[in-house]
Amino acid sequence: MERDRQASRFLSIADRVINWSRKYSLWPMFFGLSCCFVEEAATFTSRYDMARFGAEVMRPSPRQADLLIVSGTVFKKIAPVVLRLYEQMPEPKWVISMGSCANSGGMFDVYSVVQGVDQIIPVDVYVPGCPPRPEALLEGLVILQEKIMSTEKPSRKVFHLGGGTQGTDRPVLEIGATKSRDPRGPGYEGIPIRGTSILPGGLHWGNRSDLMWTPPARRIELSEADLALAAEMRERFGDKARLEPHSSDMLTFEVDRGSVKDVLRFLKNESKPKYKRLDDLTAIDESARRNRIWNKGLAEASSDAGAVESFSRRQPGRYPDFTVVYQLLSFDTAGRVRIKSGLEAEGGAGLPASVTDIWPSANWYEREVFDMFGIRFEGHPNLRRILMPEWWEGHPLRKDYPGRATEMAPYTLEDARKRQPMDAMEVAALDHKVPPGEREFFLNIGPHHVSTHGLLRCIAALDGETIKSLDLEIGYHHRATEKLGERQSWHQYIPYTDRNDYLAGSSLEFSYVTAVETLADIHIPERAQAVRVLLAELYRLSNHLVWMATFAHDVGAMTPNFYTFAEREMILDIIELITGGRLHAEFLRIGGLAADLPEGWKEAVDNLTAIFPRRLLEYEKLLRENPIFLARTKGIGRISLEEAMDWGVSGPNLRACGLAWDLRKKLPYSGYENYDFEVPTETAGDCYARYLVRVEEMRQSIRIIEQVVRNMPSGRHVTEDYRYAIPERREMLKDIETLIHHFVNVTRGMKIPVGEAYGATEVPRGEHGYYVVSDGLGSAYRMRVRGPGFANIQTLPIMATGESIADLISIIGSMDVILPDIDR
Amino acid sequence: MQPVAAGVMSPFHAGVFSLVVFTILVMLFIASQLFLAAWLGEKKKSPEKSRPYECGIIPTGSARFRYPVPFYLVAIFFLIFDVEGAFIITWAVVYRKVGLPGYEQMSFFIVLLLAGLFYIWKQGGLDWRETGKRADS
Repeated sequence: MERDRQASRFLSIADRVINWSRKYSLWPMFFGLSCCFVEEAATFTSRYDMARFGAEVMRPSPRQADLLIVSGTVFKKIAPVVLRLYEQMPEPKWVISMGSCANSGGMFDVYSVVQGVDQIIPVDVYVPGCPPRPEALLEGLVILQEKIMSTEKPSRKVFHLGGGTQGTDRPVLEIGATKSRDPRGPGYEGIPIRGTSILPGGLHWGNRSDLMWTPPARRIELSEADLALAAEMRERFGDKARLEPHSSDMLTFEVDRGSVKDVLRFLKNESKPKYKRLDDLTAIDESARRNRIWNKGLAEASSDAGAVESFSRRQPGRYPDFTVVYQLLSFDTAGRVRIKSGLEAEGGAGLPASVTDIWPSANWYEREVFDMFGIRFEGHPNLRRILMPEWWEGHPLRKDYPGRATEMAPYTLEDARKRQPMDAMEVAALDHKVPPGEREFFLNIGPHHVSTHGLLRCIAALDGETIKSLDLEIGYHHRATEKLGERQSWHQYIPYTDRNDYLAGSSLEFSYVTAVETLADIHIPERAQAVRVLLAELYRLSNHLVWMATFAHDVGAMTPNFYTFAEREMILDIIELITGGRLHAEFLRIGGLAADLPEGWKEAVDNLTAIFPRRLLEYEKLLRENPIFLARTKGIGRISLEEAMDWGVSGPNLRACGLAWDLRKKLPYSGYENYDFEVPTETAGDCYARYLVRVEEMRQSIRIIEQVVRNMPSGRHVTEDYRYAIPERREMLKDIETLIHHFVNVTRGMKIPVGEAYGATEVPRGEHGYYVVSDGLGSAYRMRVRGPGFANIQTLPIMATGESIADLISIIGSMDVILPDIDR
Repeated sequence: MQPVAAGVMSPFHAGVFSLVVFTILVMLFIASQLFLAAWLGEKKKSPEKSRPYECGIIPTGSARFRYPVPFYLVAIFFLIFDVEGAFIITWAVVYRKVGLPGYEQMSFFIVLLLAGLFYIWKQGGLDWRETGKRADS
């Protein structure tokens, strides 16, 4: 009896000592899934300094960590990896689920996302937010510490006495039994999901958007060069290539399937000007087009002038089953051309021909079209899925495919065990069609790796430490943003665009609203234009600072990390002052901005521009002439200008090869033509050249910001054309017309006329564009996102083959990749 | 060595006995640390946990394959010059005793190894890469 009491007293003291020690020495693992990780990383830098709470340094491998912070979206393709990393951690271990996506899927109730990580691993603490601020993560950590201290009794387990508790002991949740899968929370099962009434698909006569009138889509006048090209096309291809009579953005041809390849080859090599770059290649599933299932009478009954016009022009049912869309760019004249080609699912004249022999970059684009639509391309060397895992069933961007994850069978622990990523050797065999050499050794770098900057998987065939061949497996970060565009209303989609590149925030909204404004011909007040430029440039600085820190970190320099994040916080503070957000500003609106500039914005920006150039010089001193940095970057990862143009590389990566191609200069938008700035270029095309270009870009951004501040126009921040905009609150409260517009545009959302348009801006990583197709409804018929990363990363094997494995890290760092814009 | 006057220094003489005691203490200490590290704490074994970690993916292929020769060569060269070091340091200790003949023999030895080193160098044995982008530029 007495002995028992003594033993239990000893054990309870031991409990306290052990818990106290554990509480203040948690070892978080370095595992970023998406946006939230950027805030997690900020938590470790000087301003928030997680080390104060005893969670010192992030560990790169699960063997050294006992705290898994699941930061971001858990994709079905990555879930087996999350589970494995958790299981490979030693006992005891804890899990913090950071952000709405990890908690419940958040705003991504979509086919590729697991609706909450607690379905596959147990979770101790949930941190809400999208993304949570660093303070929120600190709070989560403190809650976990309290949980350890107050509920755990580890000593019986430590001394093998049986019983006792430590680490996560909650069960994994089960859909239906212990967890509701409704993203709105439990209790809403009987209520239809908001926005259902405006969704296209099926026989949607009676869609509420039909009650709204809009003028027809914008029409451009073709330039003389375009007309000359059209004439030449007519002469050469006759009836096989037809000029579309109206276009909202660029010269557009409809080409017979059999002639597509000839037309493209002509445009690339012979036409004047030559269209050297394949900007984009995608498809549209036309099966839910309303004039296939509708007739003219119904169109007239609706009051959509665009629809009526479209019916009188087109025969009902004239839309093919699918349209394959090619978009080309000429570097000489800064002109674009779009080639569309119809495709019938049944019968017809065979499959479309692959254009991989004209543009090597078409390889991935055609694989993507196959993956998303199930369209096969004749002559493609390796046509298989690219974004979805190979066990996936169905083609998600088809109109009959369910978009929501909650409409599909739940993703369970069993799935996470069974659906393993493809074996590295298998991937290499599929990509190369040659057996690996005897001395080759296959190594996976990523998806969980400090230096892949996200969920990118590189499969290197190594001979010693030389990379003999490199294969990329992407799609681990496929957040189905294109499918979401077909479901969310035109305005609701804006928050998703931020998340397509979580380091460049507003820049992405900028591309999206530009596309919609082009299509609907909306004119933006000058003040709103200037604020858009201001935000885009601030985000460029913020992005390049993170890039500088991580790139330096990749090649072994730890110090810049701690410094550059300080200025980044300063920039984020300004952004927060203006927009209220940090990573995701969600501040741009179709037709203008969400609000006017707040008081005090000018002083804050002036403070930044006053100190920034000097600070940048300081940081440069750490790197520019550092012999280690030079050895790791100079002459490494070279790509020639020819190759870069052929593969569709854009942004600083292209400019580092010697071509001064910057949309802000070549195809100015939003008043960029009024600012005085240079487009920095280098010629070497190696990692060092990419470094130099980006650093110089920061100086130019500061120049632009100074000019914006100096010349900030006064006036409205949102267009007066309230048909397409969310009205200014001040006016809305005074005027009934405006109030109605506000009510309609906020609740059901506005309608955009039938048509299509491509809008692109120069984001920090290159050309980011949105190709929006409207069928005259409250949300897009097809939302195509052209991310610069998809084209850029495809050249990684060219840069890395023949280099050593250590150089691969340096090359990835210098390319400034971000996964959501690769996998989208 | 000059005899030291009694009482000037500690009477302690290093002996075999104290060495044995010291060794046993060290062994006991190490054993206790290893035992505590192995025994304390909870251990759960699972196939997943005992799998090698490779960025979250199941590793492929065998780790036992013919390794490329540069690693092997570097190891061998290191061994050779390491042994050379061992000889030269020994020689330095007895430098005065062995005198001129020792000097001559050692010089012969060093020259011979140097000739070998230059030969390896010329043959490219010290180049890390066999081929590669940087090698041709």
